[in-house]
Amino acid sequence: MSVTGALRTVLWLTRDTFRQSLESRVFWMMLGLSSLAILLCLSIRVEGGAALHRPDERPDFLPRTVRGKDREYAPRDGVEIPNGTLSVAFGAFRVPLDRDALDAVRFIQLVLAAGAADTAGLLLALVWTAGFLPAFLAPGAVTVLLAKPVPRPLLFFGKCVGVLTFVAFQALVFFVGTWAALGARTGVWDSAYLWGVPLLVLQFAVFFSVSALIAADRRRTVACLFGSLLFWLLCWGMNYGRHAVVAMPELNRDLPRPSPWLRGAVEAGYWILPKPADLSLILSRSIDSRRVFATADEFEVVQRLGQFHPALSVATSLLAACLLLGIAAHHFKRADY
Amino acid sequence: MLLPTLAVAEFRGAGKVYRNAKPGAWALRDVNLKIEAGEVVGLLGPNRAGKTTLVKMLLTLCRPSAGEVFRFDRPVEVRRTLARVGYVHEAPAFPRDLTAEGLLRYYGALSLVSTTDLRRRVPALLERVGLADRPREPIGRFSKGMIQRLGLAQALLNEPDLLVLDEPTEGLDLSGRQLVREIVSEQRQRGATVLLVSHAHAEVDQLCDRVVVLVEGRVVYDGSLENLKQDPAAVEPLAPSHSASNLIPMPAFPSVSKLEQALGQLYGRPAE
Repeated sequence: MSVTGALRTVLWLTRDTFRQSLESRVFWMMLGLSSLAILLCLSIRVEGGAALHRPDERPDFLPRTVRGKDREYAPRDGVEIPNGTLSVAFGAFRVPLDRDALDAVRFIQLVLAAGAADTAGLLLALVWTAGFLPAFLAPGAVTVLLAKPVPRPLLFFGKCVGVLTFVAFQALVFFVGTWAALGARTGVWDSAYLWGVPLLVLQFAVFFSVSALIAADRRRTVACLFGSLLFWLLCWGMNYGRHAVVAMPELNRDLPRPSPWLRGAVEAGYWILPKPADLSLILSRSIDSRRVFATADEFEVVQRLGQFHPALSVATSLLAACLLLGIAAHHFKRADY
Repeated sequence: MLLPTLAVAEFRGAGKVYRNAKPGAWALRDVNLKIEAGEVVGLLGPNRAGKTTLVKMLLTLCRPSAGEVFRFDRPVEVRRTLARVGYVHEAPAFPRDLTAEGLLRYYGALSLVSTTDLRRRVPALLERVGLADRPREPIGRFSKGMIQRLGLAQALLNEPDLLVLDEPTEGLDLSGRQLVREIVSEQRQRGATVLLVSHAHAEVDQLCDRVVVLVEGRVVYDGSLENLKQDPAAVEPLAPSHSASNLIPMPAFPSVSKLEQALGQLYGRPAE
């Protein structure tokens, strides 16, 4: 099959996935949630609260809410006190700024990226797209398609590319929309926030690949959904557990060191499985979360010990997703219909 | 010297046991069959005779557990030969929100038909199957018969050399049945091969020049329709061949009484 033919097939399958999302209203539900988030960002305004430090500097300021002598001495010692207001819902709620404007916007970005998109958004995307492949692979629907000359693995990959493109489109709307809305309202255009798009799509791809593997075998939406959610929990547990095992001797010196066997097994599990916790950490770090939230002790120690490798975490997660999709496609290629 | 005739479809000792079936429960056993270019072949048999399994193996929807299957003289695993095949499913489940025109464009693209050809063929085929007045209507609003007509149209998009019709008249009214007959005749005229699967003899009677009868997964008759119609009870079971499938234990060959019963059901002459 020619490259043009293959591309044309993938385009049609992607188009069909968007059709599926429109038919099942998933397209509008996800777009509706993104619109709400964009509207929320459009309602935000920061008054005052000018930047108190250069971008590469740690903030050195005193929150406005601090009372007493510190507040009196601060200006004399060169420590500034933020003096702005953050208003939400077009001024319906006003909060005094405890940080400068940039940090206030980063806080909102962090809540949107790590809280809304990376957790709730990812779960909803998995739930809402879980039925796409089983519906595509339903006997009456797929048999006619399988009698077409397109190679089976291409048919399967094309459909998966369609689902990933759909999620990427929704992620793009969410991140670019909220980023532009916040930028327009606050004047803060921090493009690091946009790293959320590829990182979120990668996370989704990892868990969707499990859903695809189950769909190729069982063709049942419920099995796909629970399978991918269980895998998510397993990967989170393994990812966090590994960091805990690495960090524990540092955090509590009274505890005995884990046996080499345990450490080896945990390391093997960590490197084989995708790493959702690491990907979340990379996303948070890209928005410079340390200015806003403290990181879990285990993650801090792992980074300090040089046991956290962002590039390898991304690469191995991607590899795991590709491997799972490859197994699913192989299974689909050999399945009887 | 005679040149060998091109086999559009060929089964050599082909057999199939499904993954979840009981051990030894053959859906199809030791099938030896050759369909040549330009033939219109009727595949008859009662329910669960293995007709659909045979079609599925020909279309690479399922793999043979024994023997070999060829399409256009190449193993069925060579998928590019499917570009020369049109397939009508007995109960197609098309996306309900797609329009007839949209479905034909989508399926045409997957059949590797060029965009230029599709632009020309889609309206012509909709016209041919009597759906020209509803090109942009969602399929969800179509009756079962209209969906079946659309199924016929999508099978003809690539102007196939082999048209496989699996129970094509299921759910069709009289005019729909007439349409199927006309389409088969047209395909015959343009030199295409047609494999018509049915459990009803009426349409096979009118359209096919050769009949293959399957009973309990075996070919029990392969020949002219006239011979079969004259005395179905006199049909002798075909002897099983010595093929690769014989290496796998198989149940006994269907008894003559069972054949009589099955053929009697097909031709309205119940066995005594």
